[in-house]
Amino acid sequence: MRRSAWWMLAPYLIGLLGLVLIPFGITVAMALTEYDLINPPEWLGWANFRELWHDDGFRTALMNSLVFAAIAVPLRLGIALMLALLLHRRAFMAGSARTAAALPTAVPEIAYGLLWLWLFNPSFGPINQVLGPLFNRLGVLAPRWLTMPADARAAIILMSLFTIGEMFVILVAARQALPRDAYELAEIEDATGWDIFRRVTLPMLAPVLGVLLIRDTIMSLQLSFTPALVVTKGGPPPHSTTYLSLFVYRNAFEYLRYGYAAAATVIMLALTMLAVLIQAVILARARQMRR
Amino acid sequence: MTEGGSGLRLEDVHARHGVHGVGLQVGSDELLAVLGPSGAGKTTLLRTVAGLERVTRGRIYIGDRDVTNLRPGLRNVSMVFQSYALFAHLSVAENIAFGLIVKDVAKAEVKRRTLRAADAIGCAHLLDRRPAQLSGGERQRVALARALVREPDVFLLDEPMSNLDLELRVETRAEIKALHARVGGTMVHVTHDQTEALVLGDRIAVMRDGLVEQIGTPEDIWRTPQTTFVARFVGSPAMNLLPGDGPLRPAGIYPEPAWLIGIRPEAVVLGGEGVDGLVERVDVVGEDAYVYVRVGEHLVCARVPSRGKPSGRVTVSVADAHLFDAATGRRV
Amino acid sequence: MKRLLTAAVAALLLASCSTTGTESPKDNAPVQLLVFGSPDELAAYRTLVSAYKGGQVQLVEAADRKDLITKLSTSIAGGAPQDLFLMNYRFYGQFAAKNAIEPIDDQLKKSTVIKAADFYPEAMKPFQWAGKQLCMPQNVSSLQVYYNKGLFTKFGVAAPKPGWTWTDMLTTAQDMTRDAAGHVVKATEPEAGATPPAVHGLGTESVMIRLAPFVWSNGGQLVDNDAKPTRFTFDTPAAREALKNFIDLRLGYGVIPTDDEVKAQDLVARFTSGKLAMLLESRRITPTLRAAKELSWDVAALPTYKQPGGILHSDAYCITKASKNKESAWKFMEFAMSPEGQRIIAATGRTVPSHIATAKSNAFLDGNAPAHAQIFLDAVPSLKAVPTISTWPEIEDITEGILENALYRGDKLDDVIAEIDKQTKPIFARGEAS
Repeated sequence: MRRSAWWMLAPYLIGLLGLVLIPFGITVAMALTEYDLINPPEWLGWANFRELWHDDGFRTALMNSLVFAAIAVPLRLGIALMLALLLHRRAFMAGSARTAAALPTAVPEIAYGLLWLWLFNPSFGPINQVLGPLFNRLGVLAPRWLTMPADARAAIILMSLFTIGEMFVILVAARQALPRDAYELAEIEDATGWDIFRRVTLPMLAPVLGVLLIRDTIMSLQLSFTPALVVTKGGPPPHSTTYLSLFVYRNAFEYLRYGYAAAATVIMLALTMLAVLIQAVILARARQMRR
Repeated sequence: MTEGGSGLRLEDVHARHGVHGVGLQVGSDELLAVLGPSGAGKTTLLRTVAGLERVTRGRIYIGDRDVTNLRPGLRNVSMVFQSYALFAHLSVAENIAFGLIVKDVAKAEVKRRTLRAADAIGCAHLLDRRPAQLSGGERQRVALARALVREPDVFLLDEPMSNLDLELRVETRAEIKALHARVGGTMVHVTHDQTEALVLGDRIAVMRDGLVEQIGTPEDIWRTPQTTFVARFVGSPAMNLLPGDGPLRPAGIYPEPAWLIGIRPEAVVLGGEGVDGLVERVDVVGEDAYVYVRVGEHLVCARVPSRGKPSGRVTVSVADAHLFDAATGRRV
Repeated sequence: MKRLLTAAVAALLLASCSTTGTESPKDNAPVQLLVFGSPDELAAYRTLVSAYKGGQVQLVEAADRKDLITKLSTSIAGGAPQDLFLMNYRFYGQFAAKNAIEPIDDQLKKSTVIKAADFYPEAMKPFQWAGKQLCMPQNVSSLQVYYNKGLFTKFGVAAPKPGWTWTDMLTTAQDMTRDAAGHVVKATEPEAGATPPAVHGLGTESVMIRLAPFVWSNGGQLVDNDAKPTRFTFDTPAAREALKNFIDLRLGYGVIPTDDEVKAQDLVARFTSGKLAMLLESRRITPTLRAAKELSWDVAALPTYKQPGGILHSDAYCITKASKNKESAWKFMEFAMSPEGQRIIAATGRTVPSHIATAKSNAFLDGNAPAHAQIFLDAVPSLKAVPTISTWPEIEDITEGILENALYRGDKLDDVIAEIDKQTKPIFARGEAS
């Protein structure tokens, strides 16, 4: 590569080294110690990992994160795709609709969490004001979003379905970039909407969808805990909406067990890499089959 | 393969961007070439027939069906796009069979018809490949096979050869003509290349600015162009147009001053009796030479064999001419 | 090899954290005081800070206790810690055990403004670690019963009396749980479509520190060894009984609101809006209640089982060991703990002053609501502190979850006791005691 190319890459490489690789190294090192930021670190070897293995709280957080990713990612991708296909054309109010679809992502996380805290309020929140009478007619209580474990997890998933702005924007651009005459041809050949979706749109969007799937899996496994913290504080007990990130935050910043938290982070990282690897292999195979 | 198409009839068709009142008819086994410069509205007209553009006034009939307000899928037409519009993620066979697959035709039938269409076009050996692995010419064949396989009422071809190089164009032209002779069907072929139109078309419709200037056999278009536009557009180099009271006129004809005399380069005679002129430029193309002679204040182009190409002072006379009204451009 | 690795890791971590620089006291730099609290509490601190004329004090306001702990630990690691922080005795253990707090025995001995004997020993003791006084408590608050005088008059029920028992409280709470029409109701399991009570007789958080005083009052023990605890002792009869009665408040007697109701509107808000007849809380909500102008309220002593029993609520000023400004920090602490400083904070109603003379004066007993403020002082001799083990915050978090489930979902008592034991034993084992 030419020397100028190296010069241009330099800022990115420096950032990569200083902001990603070095902190990563420090975290892995920290995972093998006990460190409270006040006194010097103490070498523990694998003790943190052994303790994590037996920690119910960690197991719960791990399961929560995996289940969340397994459910939320396909839903999010599906909703983003559906909205993108609905709103990519120039039509009456389509521009405003697109803005509305992308807007929740732009809201700061704490504000987003507080908003949903209000929406989910069992007595006064709009959601249960509407669902309450409906559910009561069926003889059951309205969902107890903030106090029942299953409902609380559903609440967190629900909250994540609206922040699809990034994927939506990418999919709209991808769809608009698809060749117009392919669709005109399909029209002339009298293909139904479903056929067009299945045989034309989906295969042509497949590369983009693959990338978004991997990316969203990574992001969902490392789910920011701010909304969960604001809305449910990691409960209802025990730990039903404590995700890995919240577990790490708690142990590090509330209990001052940075080494322990770092160990949890390392496991989180390993899991994420595993998930990405599995998906990448599957996608590569799919591409192979098409050849 | 097909027992003739169903014929096509347009009555005073207007479309939003570029068709301002077109009426024409295409017979059930006729190949109509639609010729014109870019912006003439020929592609728009084609898309209107396909149903991809909306008709704002007038009617379209395929066979005896009024399809003016039908969506494209119901009109039973096939279209070959300029870009071929092949699906990159499907094999050639799947591309050809696309129309049949979405109609849930039985697999055995699909295979049979695909093979037949591919054979007819001559791309049966490519069935397992993908569009990315094909050359331009091969892709065009696949697009044609796809149009063929459905046995539609009307075939529409939108400048299918503009992406090919010259040699391939000549070859493909001949093949399409042979194909049409074999298979029949109502075909509308849009092109901006007049040679292509002259070779392929059973009839030619010359379009300018959303209107059809003249429609007729290639012979008609060549021998009796109805307007100065048609006269100059068809034929290369373009016909010479001189004022009626100019220096040159054909023998025995006494044109009005308000007329224009149209003289094809082939009809200009150099040497012998005639008006004096000065050779300004000579373009030699193989066996032909195009000699540009200044006569009075006009430049006249003559086509002569390159062997005896003149220079300096020559005499110019006219063997054959067309007469047009200068104001309307119409033939007199 | 291990040594080398530890040294490398330590070097890496320390290099990336602390700054260089000797500990040169910058006496002209402002003293940073880290606090958290409700807006009313924060206003009280601001008043104190602006009244201090001995130098510059900068108030650093954290969002809540967890935020305060985060700010403190990260600032220590970052080499620029806050000089002073206010911390509850239940949470200071982790910092004491990590040697992050500067002992103030010497300063206290040399001081001309305050003396150790001026303060309630019940408040001073929990802040002693390894024989040294680490922090100076600013208050000696405790858990008492706040009650809505207006509601009691409205329903014609006798107000809480001195010396009343748990059973008395239960009966009163049942009498005060009423529907919108004013009839006594018993709402245990929430049913679809049923209207909840308009007023609940009692409100309490489902946390260990609400339960502890009742265990002690019943003559029982909370942990096996107060100084060096290793487990909870809910399997002993007295503690078990107190636990059972506490859990039954929701599903057994229906006198406290459901978890949904509490999530919809928190306990203090319910109390000020007349939805709770009684509320178990410490002194800290007094400023908020005073601000609720239409509310007519008072406090009553915590009900007892066999003997008087109460739990200490106290927070104290601590100087960070890593502070570069310890002298100025101590000067402000002296002021805050002096009669003048104590009076300023007491005037806001937030504290029960730990300075004995101030507590007994009209700085505290100033005639403002609550009328029976004296009970806070009467309770002091029987106040007990929970263990100050370094991992107590984790224990509180875990037991909060277990008690919440027990209270609101009706888990079986034996399961609850077993769960508490199972979850907290390892945490006790990890902790360090004074």
